[in-house]
Amino acid sequence: MVGWEAIAGMFGKNAGTEDLEAFYPVRPECKADIPKTRFRPRAGKTLSARRWHAAFSEDGHLDIAKVLRRIQRGGIHPSIKGLVWEFLLGCFDPNSSFEDRNQLRQQRRERYGMWKTECQNMVPVIGSGKFITTPIITDDGQPIEDGGWHVTSAVADKKVAQWMLSLHQIGLDVVRTDRALTFYENETNQAKLWDVLAIYSWVDDDIGYVQGMNDICSPMVILLENEADAFWCFERAMRKLRENFRCSTNSIGVQSQLSTLSQVIRTVDPKLHQHLEDLDGGEYLFAFRMLMVLFRREFSFIDALYLWEVMWAMEYNPNIFSSYELPSTASDSNSAQTFDQKLLKQYGKFERINVKNGHTDKNSALAVYLAASVLESKNKVILKEAKGLDDVVKIMGDITGNLDAKKACKEALKIQDKYLKKAKKS
Amino acid sequence: MSYAYLFKYIIIGDTGVGKSCLLLQFTDKRFQPVHDLTIGVEFGARMITIDNKPIKLQIWDTAGQESFRSITRSYYRGAAGALLVYDITRRETFNHLASWLEDARQHANANMTIMLIGNKCDLAHRRAVTTEEGEQFAKDHGLIFMEASAKTAQNVEEAFIKTAATIYKKIQDGVFDVSNESYGIKVGYGGIPGPSGGRDGSSSQGGGCCN
Repeated sequence: MVGWEAIAGMFGKNAGTEDLEAFYPVRPECKADIPKTRFRPRAGKTLSARRWHAAFSEDGHLDIAKVLRRIQRGGIHPSIKGLVWEFLLGCFDPNSSFEDRNQLRQQRRERYGMWKTECQNMVPVIGSGKFITTPIITDDGQPIEDGGWHVTSAVADKKVAQWMLSLHQIGLDVVRTDRALTFYENETNQAKLWDVLAIYSWVDDDIGYVQGMNDICSPMVILLENEADAFWCFERAMRKLRENFRCSTNSIGVQSQLSTLSQVIRTVDPKLHQHLEDLDGGEYLFAFRMLMVLFRREFSFIDALYLWEVMWAMEYNPNIFSSYELPSTASDSNSAQTFDQKLLKQYGKFERINVKNGHTDKNSALAVYLAASVLESKNKVILKEAKGLDDVVKIMGDITGNLDAKKACKEALKIQDKYLKKAKKS
Repeated sequence: MSYAYLFKYIIIGDTGVGKSCLLLQFTDKRFQPVHDLTIGVEFGARMITIDNKPIKLQIWDTAGQESFRSITRSYYRGAAGALLVYDITRRETFNHLASWLEDARQHANANMTIMLIGNKCDLAHRRAVTTEEGEQFAKDHGLIFMEASAKTAQNVEEAFIKTAATIYKKIQDGVFDVSNESYGIKVGYGGIPGPSGGRDGSSSQGGGCCN
């Protein structure tokens, strides 16, 4: 843990990444391999621990409008990120008391514990602080013997077999996740990530495990010390993202977002779209990774977290909690309500525009506009220099470490505005 | 950089067998013990020389998980060469070769050159697939075969270059109509049209301006 002085120091004159990285230390031998961090907590802009605590009423009701305003201006201080994310992602209702939330947290931990036990009964290595990277059953469900850790008899149930076959895959990915961070030098921490992903894929068997989910889950595992809390935070993030991970023999879910991206570019910059189409890039597959793992690879770890929280704050809808907890009652909340100013302030900037325009397309997440803004920022180079898809990929690759998260979000909102206006006209 | 020909490659195989590491070793001459996992498809390029002619290799590196097959498939189209990789220390990656091959045969053009690579041959003490088995599989399916190590760089150059040499030979033998880009071959500036290329080699897309 980092002491209060270190935190306070960060808001002082000499605030720098040096201090910031104390929160998420990087292995010295990996420092050269990762993009530079641009984020700095800024006094008066970044949501600080003090401001955060001051935003609660005595019994725990949170002034979400105030908090959102801050986050959209300057992100969240690392000392409180996990707690704030839980609200941004809809784990908790800001209109509840400390007491309510403690109870809910307790219930959720118990539910996670039950699922974990269920999984443990099938594969004892779960929850042991260790994990596997080799298959425990063959493709046709026969157990693979190696020391009695795992499965003892043939697996007939399709769901169970499918899940067991994904476990070593998750393991192979866990050892490759954020390997630059000291946090994952520790096997117990790797196992924590493995457990959460393994249990998630058991519970959400419709989606299962797909590569890239590890990149989404890893920050939750780092930010939230309690494994069950990390799981729920991840589960909520997946509510936003899970359709991207839906795989069939012919397609991957993220392609719906890619086609929205294509539509957005075609509308706001027909020339660029035409050029990409001429290069056989009309499917926008080169933006696949950006949308799938929410720009994690284009930014340093800290900057990616900063980007995510600004995005989620901008996408915030005050009905998020109820729409997850009580889906039946929340269905008409967007269309039927009349919006007074006070309520509108509880929406993030991006969602507010959508609501005002009656625009509720699930595929038009902020990330799509963000990808559009990144493309737009390279529009001249692409038009002039890209003579093949490989050039486009290379140009997009060169942005790594050179993007400013907040600026990119601002540009994304501009494109959203432009798109909605043009789309309305036609 | 100008080139006589550009060859498009695709790297395929199970997850974690070292596809991205082979590519990195080939393009950057370095090894990352733990490489970021590939999401969707990534990309690398390098110039080589065959028969005194500069040839540009444009290499698409794909994700290994089964779920991504639908995306991988769209990259077979227009590839002149494929590196099919397995890990000699993990038996299951060898067992899955047939299914990879079936995919390739179904979605690539029939003349695509396929190189089978048994990677991680530096880890001989953990070997789970013998060299002979690799050789036999390659022979049965008409593939070129090599064991390689992205870590020590053993046979990495050779694998990429031998594949290119095979493609080059096919051009010389008139197997491809090089003016047709769907074969994954592009004629660059100073390139000679293949013997079969009855049409003018400097077709519109070739452009010959890529410098």
